[in-house]
Formats: sequence, structure tokens, C-alpha cells
Amino acid sequence: MPREVEPSVNERQFFEKALAENLRLDGRAFDQFRDLELSFGDEFGVADVRLGKTRIHTNISAEVTTPYPDKPFDGLFTITTELSPMTSPHYETSRPSDPEILLSRILEKNLRRSQALDTESLCLIAGHKVWSVRADVHILSHDGNLIDASCISVLAALQHFRKPDTSSEGENVTVYTLEERDPVPLSLLHFPYCVTFSFYPSTVEEGETVILLDSTLLEEQLREGSATIGINKDGELCQIAKLGGISVDAVAFLGCVQVALARVKEISTFVIKRLAEDAKKRDKGDLMAELRAENDR
Amino acid sequence: MVASKEPSVLLSHLHRADGSATFSQNGYTVIGAVNGPIEVPRRHELPEEAVIEVLVRPAAGVGGTRERHLESILHSTLRQIILVHNFPRHLIQVTLQITNTPENKNTGSKVVQAGSHLAILPALLQTAVLALLSASMPLATILTSVSIAIHADGKSRKLITHPSLKEFESASSVHIMAFTSHGEPLVVESQGTFTLEDWEEVFETVKALCHAEHNRIDDNAMQGVDGKGNMLEFVKSAMGEKVAQDLHWHT
Amino acid sequence: MPLDTSTYSLALLRLDGRRWNELRRLTAQISTQVAADGSSYLEMGNTKVMCTVAGPSEAKGAGGVRLGNDRADIRVSISIAGFSGVDRKKSGRNDKRLMEMQHTIASAFAQNLFTKLYPHSTISLSIHVLSQDGSLLAACINACTIALIDAGVPMHDYICACTAGSTSSYSSNDETADPLLDLNTMEEQELPFLTVATMGESDSVSVLIMETKVQVGRLEGMLAVGVDGCKQVRAILDGVARARGTKMLEGSRM
Repeated sequence: MPREVEPSVNERQFFEKALAENLRLDGRAFDQFRDLELSFGDEFGVADVRLGKTRIHTNISAEVTTPYPDKPFDGLFTITTELSPMTSPHYETSRPSDPEILLSRILEKNLRRSQALDTESLCLIAGHKVWSVRADVHILSHDGNLIDASCISVLAALQHFRKPDTSSEGENVTVYTLEERDPVPLSLLHFPYCVTFSFYPSTVEEGETVILLDSTLLEEQLREGSATIGINKDGELCQIAKLGGISVDAVAFLGCVQVALARVKEISTFVIKRLAEDAKKRDKGDLMAELRAENDR
Repeated sequence: MVASKEPSVLLSHLHRADGSATFSQNGYTVIGAVNGPIEVPRRHELPEEAVIEVLVRPAAGVGGTRERHLESILHSTLRQIILVHNFPRHLIQVTLQITNTPENKNTGSKVVQAGSHLAILPALLQTAVLALLSASMPLATILTSVSIAIHADGKSRKLITHPSLKEFESASSVHIMAFTSHGEPLVVESQGTFTLEDWEEVFETVKALCHAEHNRIDDNAMQGVDGKGNMLEFVKSAMGEKVAQDLHWHT
Repeated sequence: MPLDTSTYSLALLRLDGRRWNELRRLTAQISTQVAADGSSYLEMGNTKVMCTVAGPSEAKGAGGVRLGNDRADIRVSISIAGFSGVDRKKSGRNDKRLMEMQHTIASAFAQNLFTKLYPHSTISLSIHVLSQDGSLLAACINACTIALIDAGVPMHDYICACTAGSTSSYSSNDETADPLLDLNTMEEQELPFLTVATMGESDSVSVLIMETKVQVGRLEGMLAVGVDGCKQVRAILDGVARARGTKMLEGSRM
């Protein structure tokens, strides 16, 4: 397989020099995100996030399966991420690469372990039938900051998704089609978004660190360390992952957490706004469906 | 929501792939990316021609036998149109990501009925060709593909071009064909029960849809009528627009 | 499943009788394996790990991704013995949690060691976990530090790690919650905690991993206690390394 193109010495020096003058190559401020765009598909549970040139497409699907015997009351929630050759030819399909493992681990910790999706609400008949919700994260284009973009994409798709309505009589579960009953949204408990910080040793002051937000691919290749902070807008930290790299002063790190909290609040409002716009668009064309939903209640 | 039977395409929109295209028709949307010619792992290397790797990734779930079958059809087709002998000991990677399939009744369910997986084949073929064109890969010919369903009950029979998923499933037979720009058949996949006459009729219909006679295209162009429903015309105009855009400053 | 830690507020003693800011017994041995270039054995309470260092040696062929050739490549492999935990289960080779730990250790030491002194070479660390009782990653990092000292690989400073937790679960928002130092398995299962590794005696954080939900206000206290714990760990590891050094000097004098 071809190797990833590494930044040249010139690129590296240019970047460092610019950083010393408090400049980023694309002219952004150090704590500025690239333009975030979010669009939804025609179907429920399809979200397409663009962060600069990074593009992530998430598809949520659900089916009825049997739960694990040790957790009879919990539904299943899986997140799959795979970097395909579409992103860059050096990703092999057979062997997961390091960034891929870290991405899936962080999404797992941030969304699954923090119980963002209430898995108990996915239970239909204890020990026999539960919903299995699956999030397929397709990375279409990689220009840095995959973690934050994937996290926004999955959470937006989960909020957009509607699972078919069901009713159970004893051991039998009926799953209604879209025509029969309006599908129901998932029960999400909180929305932890991720913010990734990239660290560079300062060339101006010895021992200081320069901190960048939402790094591009080049910035990611040149960074000496990074930290991903997962937090929801209510100020609950869901995970922190600073996996090695250069060391950062503890006080500066606490500052990062506050920055992350502020950013997550912005992202949350943005996603909610987009969801509301999408819901409005759906209603306009399909007024009858809305009326019917009223009658159902 | 009724899916549009008119095709639409977006070319070269992924920034790191050598060529890319998003093609949608009939409710299917496929994103294709082409990388190549690139280095090939030793164990897969072919001394006299390029290795073509086709990867079909479903919208939900991981690929299974269904995707492998589609990949094998695509592989043998693309090998015929890419000038593989121009790139010995190289690899040409074609990745096709399905992002949207026609809505089925069970929303979000990843279960797709067995046997119906061929319905997406025309979209996959078309995306692959457009992505290859976007990557400027030398091709012997371009390819256009159309699916047709026959509804036959006793005496009467009805041909439906670009059938919807429902029509596809209820049809007595379905045919997916692809023609080169010279009007030669390249892919012929048929399923169901049908007579030889049926097949011949389908063949002629698809041929007309995929490939119009040259003089007819010229006539249409002169009259300013776009070749509606003609796939070859669509591919040509899409590429034409793209080239015109790229050469915008090249007056 | 949830344990009853309500007794903590009465006696201010934890399940194993420690106070909030006490480490468990931390002992380490250096140069335990004669054949390896550097080796160590470390116990943090009942967590026991062994680490061996091979290298710096010639870079192995094409396998794996090479990070440029101007510096040494650090490879880490962790193997967890089947008998190390309470439930005896075999972890697969593709366990993502293990791979994450390996990546963490490798990238932490890549910044700490003077890897530029060894171009075209590989330093491989192999860690064997013999017994698990909480603070696993911290124990692995500590064991690596002293094994690398034994191997004589030049480094900026010690990387020392420990865990810190908080007595209240994330749901309750009481202000009286105490931070805790060096958690064992039972505490890890129940309480929010983080693993922190610092460089030497400074306050700069090299590794910080938290996987449980906690109020953002609680982080500062936990981090402060964790960083302080790291300094205690450093003092102990420094003692071990110096004792070894003195012994070597004595040996050479004779």
C-alpha cells in the first residue's frame, strides 16, 4: 500500500514560523472552528456533516434482535467506523489503523459508556426481543478533526432517527410500518460532543504550548500531542483522552476544558437549530401526516 | 416520496481521492471514489496489467455476499473498459459507498430482501464510470446502464424502465444491461422467467436508452433538445459541463 | 455492581482502610530479567506488572508503519495473563482497549525519550500484566519508566502515573465529595476516575484519560490529587533507581 504523504520540511517550517507569529495557514484564529454544515437525508437517521473539507456521513438503522444473556434488559447500540480507501488510498481494508482504533474507542466511550442513548428504552421483551441500533459512520473525506465531526454526525443522526413503532402482546411484538403508524424518536439522555485540541511546543517561549482547535489534516500531521474532551452542554464530562504526546500544564488543561464546554454549547444549539429546520421542512410537504399524528394521541 | 428517474451527478467533490462522483437516480445515491494508478501489494501484483480493486460498501451494516457479488460483476466489467494494459504492476482502486436506497416500508431497517440487490447495479456501474472519468483514467469506452422490469400476466406484458423498488420486486423478470458507447452489450444480467422474445425486446429498448444512434444525437443537439432518458447523452453532458467549468479561465 | 461506599463519609476510610490521599503499597524492582536490555517488576497494591525493554536496536523490515527515519520508533505490546483478573477471560489480539493503551504508552514515551539520538532504530517495550487490581495503565507506565532507565535510554524526566477518583457518583451533586487517590478495581467500577501521568516533578500532564461521567467542577480536584500522587510515585521510583545505581557502583568498586 502506498504510504501517507508526510509534510515536507518546507511545509513544517512554514507552519512553525506562522504559528510563532500567531497565524494559522488558513487564517483562522487558534480557537476557531471551520465552517460546520449539517444536512439530513430523505430518510430518518441520515446525517451528513461537513467541517471544512472533512465530510462524514452517518446512517442509523435499527432491527429487532435478542439481547445478550447477561444484559436481558438492555438494547444493543453499536457504532462502526471504517476508514475506506475513499478517504485516502493508504488505508487498508483488512487491518484497522491506529487513528481508526482511536476514533472508534473515543466514540464508544463518549456515546456508549456515557449512556447518551438510553439502551434500556430499547427493550421490547426482557431477555427475548430488543432493538439493536446501529450507527454506520462513513468517512467520505478526511481533512483533519475526524473525531469531532464524527461525534456531531452520530449525535445528529441519532436525534434525527425514528424507529418504527411497536406494540407487544405477551410474547408477540408487532412492528408497524411507516404507513401504519408514525415512527418514534429514540430516547436520548444527553448529548456529549467532542472537542479536540492539538498541542504544539511553542518556539517563542520555552516550555509553553500552543493550542489549536479543529485542526486540519496538515496540522494534525505536524502536532506533537492532542487531547479530546467529551462534554455535554450541562457541563458533564463524559471522557477525556489525552493519549501521550507532549505534556501540557495541568492549569492550561483545565482552561481547555472550559473552552470545550463553550464550544459544545455552540455546537448543541447549531444541531438543534438544524433539526428544527429539517422537521419544519418535513411537515410542510406532509401536512396530512402531522394531522394524523394528532389524531393518534 | 417518489424518487426521480432522472439521473443527477456531482463530479470531483472529494478532495483527497484522485477522482470522485456522486450519482443518484431512481432513489439510489452512490458516492464513488477512484484512486490510481497506485502501488500494489506484492502478493496481488499482476505483471502485465493493472489490478482493479472494487469495494462496494452498503449504507448500513458491513458488506456480505451481496456486496461481493456486485463487486465481482463490477470488477469483470471495469476490467474490460479500463485500459489495464497501460498500467502494468499498478492498482486502480474503485470505492463505491452506497448512501441512499429507495425507502422501504420498515424505516431504517437494514434488511433488504434477498435477490433484489441487482436493482442497485446500474447506479453502481454509472458511478464507477463517472468516477473513473473524473480521475482521468484512460478508458477504452464509456458505459451506460439501465434496468428494466417486465410485468407479464398471461397475455399482456408491460416494460418498465428504471423500475422502482416495488416494481422491481413484483416484476416477473428484471433485466440489467450495460452498453458501451459503441452500442455493444457489456453487462447482461437477467432474473426471473421470460421468453426469448421478451428478452429481445428488452435488449432493443435498453440499447435505445443507453445508446442513441450518432446522427440522432447530433440532431438533438442541433435542435437544442436534450437527450431525455438517454444515458449516454447524460454522461456526455455532465462531463462536458465539468470540463467547461474546469477550463473557465482558459479562454 | 454498585458497592456500598456510604461508610466512607462516617470514618473517612476507604474499603481497604486507606485515607483519601494515600497510595497503595508501591514497590518496584529493577533489572529483573538478565537477558533483556532493561527490565522491571512493579506492584501497585495488587496490580502487578512486568516490563522488558529491547533496544534501541536495528529497525525491523517493512512491517508496520514507519514514522520517518530520523528518530527511533517505539513499539509497545501489552499481554494480559488469563489469571490476572477475577473473571478469567482471554483477550483477543485486536482488543481495542489494549491497542489504545499501547498507543498511549508509545506516544507518551516518544516525546519523553531522546529518540532523535537513535535514528533508524526501534525500542520495543513488552509489558506483561500478572495481576490486575485497578490503576492498570498507571502501573504499566511506571513500569516502563524504570525499565527504560534500566536500559539506559536517555530521557527528559520520569513519567509517573497514578489514578484519582471522586467519592460521589456523577448523579449526586453534593459539594462534600472528596477526591481519592490510587483506586483499586472495586473503586474503579463504582466511582468516576481518571488516570494521569506527569513529567517528573512538574505539573505538566503527559497522559490524562477519563472514561466515566463526572461534573466538570469535580475535575480540578481530581486532577490536583492525581498530579500530587504522581509526585509521590516519582519519589518512590527515584528511590528504586538510585538504590540500583548505588549498588552497581559498589559492585564496580570491588
